Amino acid sequence: AVIGATVPTGFEQTAAEEVREKLGSASRISRDRGKIYFEVPARSLPQVHRLRSVDNLFVVVQEFKDYQFEEKKEDALKHLEDLVKKLPWTDPLKVWELNNSLKKKKTKRKKHNLQSPASREKLSEGGEEGGADQNTTNDQEDCAQNPVAVEPTGGQDTETPQGVASRNGVEEEEDHEQADVKVGEQEGSGSGTKAGDSEAGAGEAKVLRFRVTCNRAGDKHSFTSNEAARDFGGAVQEHFQWKADMTNFDVEVLLNIHNNEMVVGIALTEESLHRRNITHFGPTTLRSTLAYGMLRLCDPQPTDIIVDPMCGTGAIPIEGAAEWPNCYHIAGDNSPQAVKRAANNICSLLRKNESKDSSSALGVPLDVIQWDICNLPLRTGSVDIVVTDMPFGKRIGSKKKNWDLYPACLMEMGRICTPGTGRAVLLTQDKKCFAKALSRVGHIWRRAQTVWVNVGGLHAAVYLLRRTTERADEARPFW
Amino acid sequence: KLGHPSELPPEPVPNYEGGEEFLRRLHHVLLEVEVLEGALQCPDSGRRFPISKGVPNMLLTEDEA
Repeated sequence: AVIGATVPTGFEQTAAEEVREKLGSASRISRDRGKIYFEVPARSLPQVHRLRSVDNLFVVVQEFKDYQFEEKKEDALKHLEDLVKKLPWTDPLKVWELNNSLKKKKTKRKKHNLQSPASREKLSEGGEEGGADQNTTNDQEDCAQNPVAVEPTGGQDTETPQGVASRNGVEEEEDHEQADVKVGEQEGSGSGTKAGDSEAGAGEAKVLRFRVTCNRAGDKHSFTSNEAARDFGGAVQEHFQWKADMTNFDVEVLLNIHNNEMVVGIALTEESLHRRNITHFGPTTLRSTLAYGMLRLCDPQPTDIIVDPMCGTGAIPIEGAAEWPNCYHIAGDNSPQAVKRAANNICSLLRKNESKDSSSALGVPLDVIQWDICNLPLRTGSVDIVVTDMPFGKRIGSKKKNWDLYPACLMEMGRICTPGTGRAVLLTQDKKCFAKALSRVGHIWRRAQTVWVNVGGLHAAVYLLRRTTERADEARPFW
Repeated sequence: KLGHPSELPPEPVPNYEGGEEFLRRLHHVLLEVEVLEGALQCPDSGRRFPISKGVPNMLLTEDEA
């Protein structure tokens, strides 16, 4: 199957490396930034879900490298509508079904952990013929049906408002599982749907609900993403006889248009993976996928000491401890709220590990300390990697404070870092201030690589720095 | 001085890397014991840094900085 994955923009290469390393597949990086494509056998889906650099996954129905949209809006939209019945839906829908059964297994595990009553069992339909003529029967569910499902977006990060969800584990808050779809019961009888190659509908005891999400980028299109989603959705409904539902859908059809590149896909993830380890948020908590990308950039080696001296809620060290357990991770911040949140997030992580084993919780090579970045209680040259999300000066601190803070940070980070082999990966939006600060510490830090990223709509950069061989001044007397 | 029976020698003995028993005890103290309430004490200055709910506070006071 051809799988598409959305990744933090700027980290496509990193994600491709993770895919090669863990799945053995090569990836294609599309010009539509923030997406990579790779081919894997369907049975590898569980491993695909465990990738740590991807936000969302989808299975590709068809890719168009150079789609010529008609100039007039009605023509262009009509063309999209006509496209629906020609697309090869069968195999992708099978992948979607398989993916669903994986999700259900996870749900069972979650339920077991939560010990909640099985209140989600839908009334069984009895497995008669599915859909076409039965548009009226399945009304015991909610009736808030929008005639056509439209998802208006033009921009990059389509964050479905799904709330906080950790991937595998104990979830305190109510999740919004979709309706239980009776998948995999290939009755063979009941070809409810009229469409030719959509057998996926056939065995279903229930009519599927769907929505279309369209992302459109480019300045030569005659239509908006709303219109495309609406009309494409109409054709999908016609073709499969599915029910359109914006909030409680089983199938999310993706229509990604980037200039003349178009990809039709079916979503495989419902909750974005990017907040997986965090239960206690702060004002600027970093996406776990971005934290992972930053850590990978430093190429952590077993026994490396990795420090985040401005850890906030601890997103980076927590991701680090989870994925690089052979390193030791230290998180620190001067703010008591931040330190408290980080500690709580670590506790949640420990509890998550606990519920899997029946025995006592395994420790995690991770610790939190409250400290001052300009006076770190760490010995000179004792740290291998410094990785942190520096205050942008917008929500935390201020641009003015940064003028003093940044150089002081770089000096102190340079002191604790091992000369020659040490490295730092720093994220900041205040690029001007950073460049100036860096120019002053050229004897300690050398710029090795820069990755341009998008963080909450802000254009930021991740700098990979290498520690020169020059020794720093010894620590001050009070340590 | 953890108050926790760890039976560690005051200093690493020569070839400590090979001593499995020692390594086990060291691993235990470093990675399996968590101080929830207490203090860290600087061996040189004697300055104490309090630990509360597992988190040491190593911020300097105005005078020290």
